[in-house]
Amino acid sequence: MLVNILETAFNLIITLDSNLFEIINLSLKVTLSALFIAISISIPLGAYLVFYKNRFQSFVVLISNTLMGMPPVVLGLLIYTLVSKKGVFGFLDILYTPYAMVLAQTLLIIPIVVSLTYEEIYKKNKDYKLLLNSLNLSNYSKLKTLIYECRYALLTVALTGFGRASAEVGAVMIVGGNINHYTRVMTTAIAFETSKGSIELAVALGLILLIISLIITLIIKSLRKIG
Amino acid sequence: MKILPLKINNLNYSVNGNNILKNINITCEESSITIIAGNNGSGKSTLLKILHGLIEVEKETITWNNYNNVKIKKYQSMVFQNPILLNRTVRENLEYIAQSNNKHRKHGAEEVIRRLNIKNIEHISAKYISGGERQKVAIAMAIIRDPKIIFLDEPTSQLDPVYKNEIEHIISSLSNDGVKIFMTTHDISQIKRIGKEIIFIEKGEVLYQNKVKYFFSDKHCELIKKYINYG
Repeated sequence: MLVNILETAFNLIITLDSNLFEIINLSLKVTLSALFIAISISIPLGAYLVFYKNRFQSFVVLISNTLMGMPPVVLGLLIYTLVSKKGVFGFLDILYTPYAMVLAQTLLIIPIVVSLTYEEIYKKNKDYKLLLNSLNLSNYSKLKTLIYECRYALLTVALTGFGRASAEVGAVMIVGGNINHYTRVMTTAIAFETSKGSIELAVALGLILLIISLIITLIIKSLRKIG
Repeated sequence: MKILPLKINNLNYSVNGNNILKNINITCEESSITIIAGNNGSGKSTLLKILHGLIEVEKETITWNNYNNVKIKKYQSMVFQNPILLNRTVRENLEYIAQSNNKHRKHGAEEVIRRLNIKNIEHISAKYISGGERQKVAIAMAIIRDPKIIFLDEPTSQLDPVYKNEIEHIISSLSNDGVKIFMTTHDISQIKRIGKEIIFIEKGEVLYQNKVKYFFSDKHCELIKKYINYG
């Protein structure tokens, strides 16, 4: 039976099954959009926190570290209450759309990227503090230098965020609704197809997810070597 | 711009209640190489860091020809005991420093690469070069800013005799070009070779300050005698 399932799954991939690739396409669009928004906010914020030590910094680092482990379903539920018709942001009318899914994944990744960026820049700042202070640079120039010096580590951080977002199911299921041809992504499709017994498509999607995970791991490994 | 004399007025510095420097009063008019000597933990490196503004003290404590330390910082460079180089090629390190000091990036780098004879390593990543080469690159990074004062914290302590000799030549040539050098070292023969003035510190206090030529002939306390004999 397993051989038959795998054979059908491979066939779906090799024959570029339109349904399968529509799901992959949406998944990548949602996750990459979330990643782009999240790193645009989180990398500067994480780096900023290293330089400006005050109560706000300690608070943000504490919150980021805490939220890193937040269950995605809880986050999904929170966003659901905010963007549902009766919610504070109900007027945006984004519930059960890819926008809500992007929002959920962005909020899921931000604490991870902020915390890991803070850690990387903090470590690098320890190594370069004397040199950068000796050069009499402004904090902005120091920050730019440290971000550049951490470039490989920060790419790894971004890939970690991508991995977390692409594997997430709970939040996007709640705020996206898993609507066929509209908000169905790889993880929600796997859950849905498995529940209705259509295991072949789920396995094909699972294989794609594994391949993505393998690619990310290989890139992270080589980036660590370079950096 | 004239930067000397350097005056240190009643400098005290402590960390967690431990006095690192105690009541330091120095007037330095020597324009070439001033050696700061002393046993480990005597406060030499801390003094250099304070003079370079890496450790802040009250403005009036240190003056350079009546200018306070903050005003003079842009004319200073420092080479650390363990050279700090960015994770880039040697040339990129130099270009970065040149650019951050509004110097012409390529021209500035070219000049110091030639002067320090590091053309052979210019395109190698700084993490793959030897200890001696790292020290030369760190000095190149210090001089690319055209400083009037350079602080060198034990620049040859981990080098073999060949590199030590090369670095000493570079330091002497910088001094001949009018750059004021402050340098810490434990190496007595090195003090004899390149030092012009010496400040000897022990447990955060200045025990001796004079021309190097007198350091070896003057009568000293037991501690300095031992330092000279065992050095």
